[in-house]
Amino acid sequence: MFLALLELRAARGRFLLMGSVVVLVAALVGIVSGFTTGLGDDTVSALRRLPASQLVFSSDAKSDQFARSLLDEKTAAAWSAEAGTETTPLGVSITRGTTNRGAEVDLAAFGVEPGSFLAPSVTEGDGLSGAAADSMVMSAKLADEGVRVGDTLVIDRLGIELRVVGRTERSSYGHVPVACVPLKTWQRIRFSTPGAPASRTTAIPGQFSALALRTAPDGASAADLDARYSTTTLSKEKAYEAAPGYTGERLTMNSIQVFLYLIAPLVVGAFFSVWTVQRRPELALLRAMGASRRRLLAHTVLQAALVVVLGTAAGAVLAGAVGLLVGEQVPFSLPASTLTATMCTVAAVGLAGTALTLRRVTRADPLTMLGANR
Amino acid sequence: MSLELTGVTVTFGRTDARTTVFDGLDVTFEPGRMTALAGPSGSGKSTLLAVAGALLRPASGQVLLDGEDLAALTDARRARARRERIGYMFQSGNLLSGLTATDQLLAAVYISGARPRAHRSRAEEALTRVGLGHRLRHRPEQLSGGERQRVALARALFLEPKLLLIDEPTAAVDRSQAGDLATLLAERAHQDNCVMVVATHDPAVAEAADRVVDMTALTAGAASAAPAGR
Repeated sequence: MFLALLELRAARGRFLLMGSVVVLVAALVGIVSGFTTGLGDDTVSALRRLPASQLVFSSDAKSDQFARSLLDEKTAAAWSAEAGTETTPLGVSITRGTTNRGAEVDLAAFGVEPGSFLAPSVTEGDGLSGAAADSMVMSAKLADEGVRVGDTLVIDRLGIELRVVGRTERSSYGHVPVACVPLKTWQRIRFSTPGAPASRTTAIPGQFSALALRTAPDGASAADLDARYSTTTLSKEKAYEAAPGYTGERLTMNSIQVFLYLIAPLVVGAFFSVWTVQRRPELALLRAMGASRRRLLAHTVLQAALVVVLGTAAGAVLAGAVGLLVGEQVPFSLPASTLTATMCTVAAVGLAGTALTLRRVTRADPLTMLGANR
Repeated sequence: MSLELTGVTVTFGRTDARTTVFDGLDVTFEPGRMTALAGPSGSGKSTLLAVAGALLRPASGQVLLDGEDLAALTDARRARARRERIGYMFQSGNLLSGLTATDQLLAAVYISGARPRAHRSRAEEALTRVGLGHRLRHRPEQLSGGERQRVALARALFLEPKLLLIDEPTAAVDRSQAGDLATLLAERAHQDNCVMVVATHDPAVAEAADRVVDMTALTAGAASAAPAGR
């Protein structure tokens, strides 16, 4: 430790430079991680909050199931009778509206049966149970856009009026804040023809996007029911992929993160490799003075650990600061657990990079100290 | 306590291009005396230091320090012998860059496994004894060639080795400092009662030595001379 710290102090310029690179790589990984989580939350937080274990879609919808899948009441009734678990319909569609205060907002309308297990629990105002058909419970995220409990919101081009009766925690779907409405109202939003006069409005079909299962089927198996009723059952987590953009975003952000995880050890490894080559004569001197290979290894690993761990910690602080700075402006979420896991990975891969240089350290030859070799 | 090499054979290279440096070399070095190894380049001076200092294992023969055969030890025990019983002073590059003169000595303490901070004042005294009391906080780049060699000597002697091996101590030192350094080496050999072996081309060092070993005569009969720098 003594010698490692003396060397660090003596070559502080070089180590500071290297430490700065580690700080930036760690901060970048942290920021990317924050955006990955934030974008993920922005896309599927409403689905995560659903108290369901599985979702059933129509089998003809192979992708973007929430937009493409349509199930009818007959299928819902069959599933309800045979699945052996509580089921309830769920309608999902993205629309836009304008409030009586002039706030223009995009919203993801979630149609649920009032009183079902999908009915939202509110943090302010009233829920959907017992409320009028034109009621709407908004996500707190809509409040950021100027919508208040008590406001009236008109769905653009359809003219459907909704009264905001309550507010839930922040949740969104496809980067759009969620508004829960009674299923019948959702069906009006989903199936009405934009701009059609009310007199020509055709009958609204009793269809919905998916059927939510509270638990896994306890009666007939999901596969049997899927085969019989032309449905596809997905776990809730698998159904995230049915949200618009979720898979593409995850793939993009995770790819960036993986590349950063590859870059980190290479950068740290390259630095320590050059550092080891530069001080080969000194390593030979230390070996000649009787330093064991183990001591030289410990010495190098300690220097690397200090640079990597302190650099990563500073990077974590920087990433957290960026998170605070961007605030609610962008989808950024970096919980302590994610930050810790990310930074531990950066530190681990950084130290793995150092391992590339350890062989050079152990091969320092004390014999080179003799003669005019230096 | 003495250093005794008996029947030492050292060869370099592969079978088809083998160079024999020593072939059954016998030589003894006594404590409290400075022995200079003199001879032209390639006569085996540095090789003798390497073998005596457990840096190079001979093909055969014994290297007896305090009765223990260094040639027969494992690598780990040879490293231990180097840090506990042998001191070195090389031709150049003796000092660790960026470390002060005092820290150079404390680095040796650290390598020996002791706590360096407890030895700071003793290290400063050791540097003062070699005339560097005014250079305690100076780094290698702030010292002259002669001062660097004095720091190396103070460090080599600091842990009171039984054997001190010195390779061309005046090669990187100007003429005015070479004589002083040679005298200092002889004094320390006498005062510290260690076995001191110095490989040198410098007549000033040979003159200060208690004994001069002519390497050409010593290795007479060897198959060929050693390669440069060995």
